[in-house]
Amino acid sequence: MSLVEISNLNAWYGDKHVLKNINLEIPRNIIFAIMGPSGCGKSTLLRAMNRLLELNPNAKVSGQVKIDGIDVYSDKIDITWVRRQFGMVFQIPNPFPHLSIYDNVAIGPRMNGLVKNKSELDQLVKWALEKAYLWDEVKNDLKKPASMLSGGQQQRLCIARALALKPKIILMDEPTANLDPVAASKIEELMLELKEDYTIVIVTHNPQQAARVSDYVAFLYMGELIEVGETSQVFTRPVHKLTERYVVGKIG
Amino acid sequence: MNRRRLEEKIMLGVISLLAIISAIPIFAIIINIYSEGLKYVSLSFLIDFPPPPISGGAGGIGPALVGSLILIGLATVIGGAIGFFTGLYLSEYSHTKLAQYTQMFLQIMVEFPTIIIGLFAYSVLVAPLKRFNAFAGAFALSIVIIPYIALNVREAYKSIPYTLKEAAFSLGLSYPKVYLRVLLSTAKRGVLTALLIGMAKAGGETAPLLLTILGTTFTYFEGLDQPINAIPLLIYNFALSPYERWHQVAWGASAVLLTIILTIFIISRLVVKEVKI
Repeated sequence: MSLVEISNLNAWYGDKHVLKNINLEIPRNIIFAIMGPSGCGKSTLLRAMNRLLELNPNAKVSGQVKIDGIDVYSDKIDITWVRRQFGMVFQIPNPFPHLSIYDNVAIGPRMNGLVKNKSELDQLVKWALEKAYLWDEVKNDLKKPASMLSGGQQQRLCIARALALKPKIILMDEPTANLDPVAASKIEELMLELKEDYTIVIVTHNPQQAARVSDYVAFLYMGELIEVGETSQVFTRPVHKLTERYVVGKIG
Repeated sequence: MNRRRLEEKIMLGVISLLAIISAIPIFAIIINIYSEGLKYVSLSFLIDFPPPPISGGAGGIGPALVGSLILIGLATVIGGAIGFFTGLYLSEYSHTKLAQYTQMFLQIMVEFPTIIIGLFAYSVLVAPLKRFNAFAGAFALSIVIIPYIALNVREAYKSIPYTLKEAAFSLGLSYPKVYLRVLLSTAKRGVLTALLIGMAKAGGETAPLLLTILGTTFTYFEGLDQPINAIPLLIYNFALSPYERWHQVAWGASAVLLTIILTIFIISRLVVKEVKI
């Protein structure tokens, strides 16, 4: 069974139909890229998975998203549980600026009651920061505010914050779009490392990035899923004309 | 110097002068009140009962000061709680009709003559009990400050970047945890400023108290269902009296009231200054 199964997913903002009948399966322990030009619905698709889309009062969703076979849109489900299954990293690094580096990572497990005591929390924070390749850079500054970190460090802190909840999958919404090339390549390396233990879905408007990091790729265009497959396949022998034009840079 | 430069200089000179003129009243008031009133203020002035009009000691404003502190505290608790949650609702559910209408009503309420609010408190809390009472005063002041607090809390929450809200919700936190813990700590300076503005407003209002608390001379606090005094009300009553000594008490009380209000505003300025993201 795939980790995530999306079937007949539609989304609207008001009257605007932004996701049109999406069907998609995301296997385990891979990097799955969703690429497409700006405004094609990639970020919406990501937010439809963890139901963050519902923060927008104009958004409406129909269809099914299953994680490990559980429908996240079922009436009986606890939405906070759903969101904890998906760690999320955003386009603009968004650590809580008033909280310390430590607290940014600790806040999720602490407020969700996932740890029993302080030492368990300390261990979890250390583990998450190590996983995000940040521990060595911040281990002496854990009490300092997150706002003192560089953009790339802040983004890795956000990855640590997501990991600390022990999610089943990590959603990344253009995680390198606001970083310089060095910081961006660090995040890409980190993703390849994390793939050992996690499934990562990355949204990107940059086909080169999708080609570099992903195992599977889906091409989204104007709310429709045009093509999906193994990355090497899609980039070398695209089935659809639109995909071919996109990967060679003619649209987007 | 060409004509255009000259015009610019004249324009700048005129608006600078007008800016200075508009600031004059503040300084004039502060200098006036302190030069007239500060000489009467002492520790015993803050504690003692007011003097008899003719003979006896210097006296003080003890009951009015205690009354003002109680009224400010109570109004800030009641008005602060209602105003805070109203402001939070206005910020986070701004797309709803209820929020849009509520906001419009609050904006009207800011402009409401406060004597009308005092009259309303009189009719619902004084007339039925047949007694002027402290709670009616606190109730009236709460209504006065709710719109100020609500609209400022709304601004405080509105100023939080959307991406931080997304971050908080993505951690699987419930609405109360997101808004009252994670985001409140981001907006705390704005929220604190809102409460301080409300406090200052509650401390300075006279009109809502005229018809509610009556004013006392020789009791500090006898219970919320009993009359109480407040500094603005004491100033109003004593300044209108024919007695020179009561005029002096009114000046001294004005200096105390001005100090309370200025202190609150200075604190709120310091709080705002620290805001940085």
